[in-house]
Amino acid sequence: MSTRLWMAILAQEEAEPSSNVSLVLPETNELIAGIVAFLIVFFFVWKWAMPAINRTLEARQKAITGKLEDAERAKNEAENLRKDYEQQIADARSKGNDLIEEARKAAEAMKADMIARAQAEAEGIVSKAREEAAQEKSRAMGEARREVANLSIDLAERVVGKNLDREAQLGLVDQYIAELERG
Amino acid sequence: MGRLTTLLWAVEHHECDVENEVICAPENVNILFEYKEPWFSVGPVNFTRTSFLIFLAAAVVIGLLYFGLRRNRLVPTKFEAAIQSLVEFVRDGIARDIIGPEGVRYTPYLLSIFMLILVGNLFELAPLINFPITSRMALPAFLSLITYVIFVFVGFKKNGIRYLTDTAWPKAVPIGLRWLVGLIEIVSTFILRPITLAVRLFANLVAGHLMLSLLLGSGIAFVLAVGEIGPKAGIGVVWFAFGLLMFVFELLVGVLQAYIFTLLTAVYIQTSIHPAH
Amino acid sequence: MEGNIELLKGAIALIGYGLGAVGPGIGIGIVAGNAITAMARQPEMTGTIRATMFLGIALTEALALIGFVLFFIA
Repeated sequence: MSTRLWMAILAQEEAEPSSNVSLVLPETNELIAGIVAFLIVFFFVWKWAMPAINRTLEARQKAITGKLEDAERAKNEAENLRKDYEQQIADARSKGNDLIEEARKAAEAMKADMIARAQAEAEGIVSKAREEAAQEKSRAMGEARREVANLSIDLAERVVGKNLDREAQLGLVDQYIAELERG
Repeated sequence: MGRLTTLLWAVEHHECDVENEVICAPENVNILFEYKEPWFSVGPVNFTRTSFLIFLAAAVVIGLLYFGLRRNRLVPTKFEAAIQSLVEFVRDGIARDIIGPEGVRYTPYLLSIFMLILVGNLFELAPLINFPITSRMALPAFLSLITYVIFVFVGFKKNGIRYLTDTAWPKAVPIGLRWLVGLIEIVSTFILRPITLAVRLFANLVAGHLMLSLLLGSGIAFVLAVGEIGPKAGIGVVWFAFGLLMFVFELLVGVLQAYIFTLLTAVYIQTSIHPAH
Repeated sequence: MEGNIELLKGAIALIGYGLGAVGPGIGIGIVAGNAITAMARQPEMTGTIRATMFLGIALTEALALIGFVLFFIA
């Protein structure tokens, strides 16, 4: 039984030469094609592609490094400029503040001066007016005194009927008025 | 000339029994992967469609790199920036980060295999090609053999015979287990590494190509047979939708496998330089 | 008879691959999960962890890949 099975299997394999084994074995024609193709690719890569890629990458690296440095420099410059500007702005602001302060002081001084002058003028005007009023008053008093004396003398002459010694009487009246004022 | 694209295999070969089957599966999956008809022959070597696609992949890689790196400009176009970042990724993200500062000298090799595998994987999704050249064992096996030679050579060059003795007799392990760990290390480093490196890539792409061919091919076959089978053609729509999902997934797998192959190459070189880790 | 044996062979190979894929599946899950934990704890180590994770996955995956090849050879 066992021998017959084996013989059957063997017979079958002889009957079918293209067995599955041929799938896992390399075929000579394709092996030769593969070797040649690989060698072509390998020499191309070795002699041309690797130098090319190294050149390209080096150039790019250099360019990128350069660009980065440029960027760094530009950044530093910008930073310096910014600091300058900030300094300038601060200066300008403090200067402006000074100017404003000065102007304010000047204005205040001017104001005080003007007020003082105005006050002085007003006082001058008031004192002058007062003086004038006093003068007017004394003048009016003198006149009134003279008028009263004359009237008194006229009245007395009429009562007495004779001329009185006008000068002596005037002196009397004045004396009397002065006494009145004093009393 | 044969089949133009394997994606349309199911349509062209109306072997598919749309009336009784629910999916078009070939009797032998090799039909999806083998192109034996020679376009022409150079001596004993036949130039097949697969050979053509391998050379096309090499041409695409060279074209991408050439037009991506041709001009040494400070402000690259979008295409140039993409290619340059890809190259930078292999140089800095894989070679320098994994191997270390001295790893930059392996960049040409890592970049070549990365680009070749990436383009080869994405051929699966390219219209009218629809065939990943990395799903043929030839390319993964050859590339993994080169990786093997490089990391063994580097190991012996940097550490002399200690590369072998340190691997076989690891000092960091307790003496009782040392022979066992050493044996596992020897087998894993010198036998399993190259095999798995090749098979991982190959297996992923075989599986992806199988899925895409079966799903999209079945979808097209069933939809085209709508006159014969009537409403059953709706199955084709389902298969096609699944196929489109797989299409997106295979995009991810293609990129990831290229990355993993390159990354593991770098890791293997690194462990050869510093075997103590 | 011969068709049956062919079917049997294919089925056994499928079962073998399925069994062979269980261990690596669990292993890759553990590796990736722990790598994510490590990355979450130390995000600055992500590059190293990712490389180590892929190395671990590569070692673990080897068994599944051998199973895949054996499936075609069987």
